[in-house]
Amino acid sequence: MLEIMGLSAEIEGVQVLRQVDFALAEGATVALIGRNGAGKTSLLRAIMGFMKVTGGSIAFAGRALAEVKPHDRPRLGIGYAPEDRRLFSTFTIEENIRLPAEVMKVLPSEIARRLEGIYQVLPELADLRHRPAAGLSGGQGKMAALARALMVGQRLILLDEPFQGLAPVLAQRYAAALRALRDSHPDIALLITESNPSLLRNFAERAYAIERGEVTEVAGGLAASSLAAAGLH
Amino acid sequence: MPPEMIFLAALDGIAYGSLIFLVAVGLSLIFGVLGVLNVAHGSFYAIGAYVAASAVLAAGGMGLPTWLAFPLFLAAAILVGVVIGGLVEALLLRRIYGKEEVLQLLVTFAVFMILEDAQKVVFGVRPLFANAPMNWLGTVEVFGIFYTRYQLILIPLVALAVLVGLRLFLRRTSFGRAIVAVTQDREAAMAMGIDATRIYLFTFMIGASLAALGGALSSATTSLTPGIGSGMIVLSFAVAATAGLGRIEGAAVAALMIGLGRSIAVYFAPEFDVLIPYLIMVAVLLIKPEGLFTTVQTRKV
Repeated sequence: MLEIMGLSAEIEGVQVLRQVDFALAEGATVALIGRNGAGKTSLLRAIMGFMKVTGGSIAFAGRALAEVKPHDRPRLGIGYAPEDRRLFSTFTIEENIRLPAEVMKVLPSEIARRLEGIYQVLPELADLRHRPAAGLSGGQGKMAALARALMVGQRLILLDEPFQGLAPVLAQRYAAALRALRDSHPDIALLITESNPSLLRNFAERAYAIERGEVTEVAGGLAASSLAAAGLH
Repeated sequence: MPPEMIFLAALDGIAYGSLIFLVAVGLSLIFGVLGVLNVAHGSFYAIGAYVAASAVLAAGGMGLPTWLAFPLFLAAAILVGVVIGGLVEALLLRRIYGKEEVLQLLVTFAVFMILEDAQKVVFGVRPLFANAPMNWLGTVEVFGIFYTRYQLILIPLVALAVLVGLRLFLRRTSFGRAIVAVTQDREAAMAMGIDATRIYLFTFMIGASLAALGGALSSATTSLTPGIGSGMIVLSFAVAATAGLGRIEGAAVAALMIGLGRSIAVYFAPEFDVLIPYLIMVAVLLIKPEGLFTTVQTRKV
């Protein structure tokens, strides 16, 4: 469904993605593992259209994304939860979650249906729904960002370091929410970046490693032995 | 000072403050969303005033009823904001977002100079006076002093409607919420499907229309001469800076403060009249350099 071929990108003249080949099938869960600064966020931002792409191509559901403006990409069913949450602080949690669907003129009945599904996956958000986003803790914010990505991500969800900075208990809660999402929405593809591969061992069926902007597939997924082989653990 | 004098000064101040508010809130909105301090904002005020006055004079010349001036004011404001504001944003400002502030100031200042001269070419340099709409609304007597209904009631009501309307628009409509989202985080907003380029254009048109509306309303109260735009940009900048740039309610409070301060000065210490807005601005910024109503940055992690 998502096919990246020979993708290169740069930030102010510095190359941050080099000839990346990457593929993601419908409903798949794929991990992208790499250290800080390896290019994880850059790859996700390139998919969303926020990077200066210097070569290669990204195709989503058969369409070349280069021809789709950044603000039209969510309309293809791509949801994005950035690493630093980026919630809109003056809105409540629910206003944040609804915003992308309202912008895309999704019918109110459909928004209500999606919201219900989201609160089933993330029940703790249902209690916080009318709280302003500015007052959230880091973990709650990550969940709200996931919920917002779910609102539009009907086909693909990009999660950038979702476990980063979460206390162990919250990380477990977040992982449980992801598992619930896997069970309730098996057709949505998930691309999760992480610097610590052990957190994703239970989800990801395939894994890629990224290092200095170069992506390689980790043979055999995230089993501990292959990680050791890939020199990442 | 006798209490009724203070009351009368306050009535003057409200009318005056309302007019500055209309211009300053547009300036503040544009800065809040686009991050550009638009020096050309004063030109929208001036052009709005000239277009409105010319329309009112033309309508009067055709023997049309005077009340028609009020819809004409609104039409003139929207026309100026959409056409001239839209052209300035789409052709010029769009190229300088994210560039150095000095460059942005220079570009908008250049636009201001160009529009100032264009306005002299189109409307001439002779004073233009179209006070028929103000006279048509009549006067009210307060403590033996006659006030025009236009200045005492209409202009403050329009300012109030703009304040409430803008707040509801930004808070309750999905387009307004998209503006707020782009203001807070342009990239995150685009990832939510918001067309930030379009939001910038519309915000600029709204801000320019508000300045033009202020100009249109003022056209009935004063005679229009070249240079009214530069006076207004300085004054509305003082209001916006006092409030904290980007603050809508703040602009209303600051405009009122400056309006009241100035009219009280007119009554009791006329030599300070022109100085008062800047004294208030300096006093506020000495104590709160970010402006009166700037909220604390929300934490990121």
